[in-house]
Amino acid sequence: MAGTKTTVREHEVELVVESADRVAEGVVALTLVDPDGGALPPWTPGAHVDLQLGELVRQYSLCGDPADSRSYTVAVLREPESRGGSSYVHEQLVVGSRVTVRGPRNHFALVSSPRYRFVAGGIGITPLLPMIAEAEATGADWHLWYRGRARAGMAYVDRLAEYGDRVTLLPGDETGPLELAAVLADPSDDTVVYTCGPERLLDGIEEICTASWPASALHLERFTAKEIEAPAGGERSFELELAASGVTLTVPPDRSIFNVILDAGISVLGSCHEGICGTCEQIVLEGEVDHRDSVLSASEQAANDAMMVCVSRCLTDRLVLDM
Amino acid sequence: MTPARRSATSEMPSDCWYAAAPSSSVGRGLLALRALDRPVVLFRTESGGAVALEDRCAHRAYPLSAGTLVGDAVRCGLCGFTYDAGGQCVSVPSQDNVPFGASVAAYPVQESDGLVWVWLGEPGRARLHRIPSLPWLVAEGWASVGGETEVAAGFLLLHESFADVTQVPFVAPEIAPAVLGAVSPPLDVVVTETTVSLHREYPPAPLPSWQSEMLGGPTADFTTTQDGHFVSPAVWVDHWDVADAEGTTARLRFTQLVTPTAPGRSRVLWRVSRDFAAADAAAGERVAAMFDDYYARVFRAMEIAQAVLDTDGPGPEVNVAADVAGLKVREIVLRMLAEESPVVRTRRARV
Repeated sequence: MAGTKTTVREHEVELVVESADRVAEGVVALTLVDPDGGALPPWTPGAHVDLQLGELVRQYSLCGDPADSRSYTVAVLREPESRGGSSYVHEQLVVGSRVTVRGPRNHFALVSSPRYRFVAGGIGITPLLPMIAEAEATGADWHLWYRGRARAGMAYVDRLAEYGDRVTLLPGDETGPLELAAVLADPSDDTVVYTCGPERLLDGIEEICTASWPASALHLERFTAKEIEAPAGGERSFELELAASGVTLTVPPDRSIFNVILDAGISVLGSCHEGICGTCEQIVLEGEVDHRDSVLSASEQAANDAMMVCVSRCLTDRLVLDM
Repeated sequence: MTPARRSATSEMPSDCWYAAAPSSSVGRGLLALRALDRPVVLFRTESGGAVALEDRCAHRAYPLSAGTLVGDAVRCGLCGFTYDAGGQCVSVPSQDNVPFGASVAAYPVQESDGLVWVWLGEPGRARLHRIPSLPWLVAEGWASVGGETEVAAGFLLLHESFADVTQVPFVAPEIAPAVLGAVSPPLDVVVTETTVSLHREYPPAPLPSWQSEMLGGPTADFTTTQDGHFVSPAVWVDHWDVADAEGTTARLRFTQLVTPTAPGRSRVLWRVSRDFAAADAAAGERVAAMFDDYYARVFRAMEIAQAVLDTDGPGPEVNVAADVAGLKVREIVLRMLAEESPVVRTRRARV
């Protein structure tokens, strides 16, 4: 009997836009359903899906109710400097449009904790909404700081009003700046921090947490890839061993690990190819990883036991992965 | 070879709906069972609603299931403390006032597809998780046989075994179509955040004799489509659909309902459902006997594997490409366990 050819892929389904509602200035919420009324795969707070938008693939957090098996909701901000995804959603997708959805997957999962601090910047509120609902349902002690440029552009402030003084709204046109030092004061072992928003906000939070919080307290999700400069001496080549497959390959300076694996005919999951979606994560057995992703936290990167093979490379001559 | 791994994990996911018992087993008596290393008692109220309570009196170590159902309340058979369907102590024999805080845990319960599902996790999260849909267990045109087995093997080991598509022809050569052992078609594995599915299609081949007889002895060859679904730590479902060129089809559904009872131990409610010869009692008896034997062999094998893990600990394992579904299941379960852990720790599960 010949070997079993095995392919592994993510769940993919064509859904239809059931409604497209403007939920704030420049923000549209899409409700996506199976045209045949089928149940959609379950997910947990923090999960996201890929939307296939013409030639583009973009990741959007699910911000509806995980108990709803019939529909997914995503909220999309029209970015003035759109790389194409947000303008496609705003201009091309209307009620009745078909869109291919891949996932869900979750690299921003909510860990169980008695206390949470949530910090949202603008449209970064979306993954935090279902997290907040779960924190509230479990009776956890939590607080949300929600920063936006102006109140009119802040999505879901109505929904958040029901939580009363657990939510601090910080519209830039009404209040002063978000004082991160105060938000992140009093680090404690039984508190976790979840944040999503623009680069500058996350960098500020990461800086404070790295300095004064327990290593695994911070959980963040970035919209865009961190900017990482190429090494001064140029990229280097290294040997790649796939332990479970029993294959040894060479990764040349101009090819990603992901592509080298694919070219060898080995099934590997991947989506964004820029280190933000977390789909291609692999377990590292040997070798010092040169992390270039925007998914793993500083402490997770330092652990050197996992990597995103689409962008990260290796600092040593040999890298061994558990695949 | 991969590093030592954690099939032998002693942790059990609690944020999950488990199929505690068939609806028909829960009535106006007290049904005791173990789940997640806890004692649970099930009963129905006078209006028919299913109730699940912690099966241990708050007064002294004594199971409520050894007591009496009085209306919608349970009275302890040792001390007479009486608890309502919400687990609240409502009367004690020795005094007029109920002691402050006297109660037993009451677990969220739902009924669907002929099963009583119990939630033993954080109660607030129950609503956020769905109960799997298993319509063939109750739908018209389908007939099911099944059994219940206490297995001395962990729930994850069982799921990994269900995920191993290459196992069936080795464990039970007479049940599977001969084509299973003869060819190995491509295996398509589809993952989501919380589920793993696998799919294979076999080329036309004769049916196994038992199935052929139940279908009236068709002569043509049948294609077989095999699907497996890891739905949650509580449910693995297999689909076996056959079809011939003349349009004859026959569908089988194997539902494996797993409840971890203790570290390294599980209870499995298994059901074999068919949409052919559904009204044929003799066919039902034959299917029941055949699969009773099949599951006994599968579970025995898993008990042996668990014993190896218990004695010698987890060791290095060689994985082949076809193991990917089982490894994905392991990854999902370990991530669930990491997220449930009440202490702050790294969010990523490592296999």
